[in-house]
Amino acid sequence: MPFDPVAIAIPVFVVLILAELLWLRRKGERHGYEWRDTGTSLAIGLGSTVAGALTGGVTAALLVWLHTLSPLSIGWAWWAWPLCFVLDDLAYYVFHRSAHRVRWFWASHVNHHSSQHYNLSTALRQSWTGFFALSFVFRMPLALIGFEPGMILVCAGLNLVYQFWIHTEAVKRMPPWFEAVMNTPSHHRVHHAVNPRYLDRNFAGALIIWDRLFGTFAPEDDTDRIRYGIVSQLGTFNVFYAVFHEWIAIARDMWRAPWRHKLSYLLRAPGWSHDGSRETSDLIRERWQRTQKDRHGS
Amino acid sequence: MGGETVQFLGALAAVVALVAITYVLGFRLSGRISSIEEAAELFRLAPGGFEPASIALDEKGEAAIARDGVGRIALLIQHGSQFVVRELPDGTPIRAVEGRLEIEPVPAARLRIGDDAGDWATTDIDANSG
Repeated sequence: MPFDPVAIAIPVFVVLILAELLWLRRKGERHGYEWRDTGTSLAIGLGSTVAGALTGGVTAALLVWLHTLSPLSIGWAWWAWPLCFVLDDLAYYVFHRSAHRVRWFWASHVNHHSSQHYNLSTALRQSWTGFFALSFVFRMPLALIGFEPGMILVCAGLNLVYQFWIHTEAVKRMPPWFEAVMNTPSHHRVHHAVNPRYLDRNFAGALIIWDRLFGTFAPEDDTDRIRYGIVSQLGTFNVFYAVFHEWIAIARDMWRAPWRHKLSYLLRAPGWSHDGSRETSDLIRERWQRTQKDRHGS
Repeated sequence: MGGETVQFLGALAAVVALVAITYVLGFRLSGRISSIEEAAELFRLAPGGFEPASIALDEKGEAAIARDGVGRIALLIQHGSQFVVRELPDGTPIRAVEGRLEIEPVPAARLRIGDDAGDWATTDIDANSG
């Protein structure tokens, strides 16, 4: 791709991480980063660029092929850019929601959530196995509609760049109009939380309107301290374990499961089990809601 | 050397530099649990749910152990500046030695809880007398 927004943004990412580190140190908040956690995040980010370089050409070729099948050719008109960005963001929402609700896609996405910290370095915990998981299929309809493949890839890159800055605790709230329309640090902190009330909420990429529209929005409650990470915290800084652990767990579960349940371990929600011994996000939330009712007697 | 290799090596150097800067700036604190309430909040996040009925906190706040209403035991173990909760399998031997708990399958769990250590031991009295 001649214009790759992500490649251009990488030096800016580095500068912003440095700025966040210095700001936290000045404030005396030494728990905001942890050097080994940062190492894991950055190493995963570096690995993801290698994975992207190895598979990006195939994704681009598929987009070009699908574009040739399209009865429409929207071309490079100026108005196509914002339209493509918005529709690509909708495609991202669908992908991201699937990545949390279908274990196959979750296995590829989980490493992004594997840090118990929430800072700009966490943003770089990008997938190594997204191509293997076929995550690219979610953007293919845009090429079929008639958008130029190059435009789709640039919009996807801009979306990813946008999402970098929202991985921070340094920004509490943006102006109300901005919070209403755009994904923000506050909205995305909710998404990275393991607090039961927040599980599987705020799937937005750049525009939070999709969560508001499809009923998956949850506002940040300042009285409930957010705990970050995944339900079963990894407890290791091992890069390869962070990247591949869910794939390994799927293989183990499928191997052990009775035949009629094997596919369910691949396609149902993370946490599903055929014997009910584990909990999905929905079950965790239901249990939490029952506990809250018992505590408050309502 | 190809352009992509140079780009990769440059990124690798930036990663190493950022990690080193993070270390030098002092972002290498170990986690501390400040109170029983905080420990309870963390135990409640255990997969499958865990409502602590009794909790013992390490003297330095570096770990915690809890028992729920049905006798299950869970630990809070340091992971950098954070904690992870781990439920112990039934029958896991816990030895009390001079106010300290030793849990063989979880060597990372270092719990110094003083006189109450004996209350948490699951091995026989002789083994816990040291």
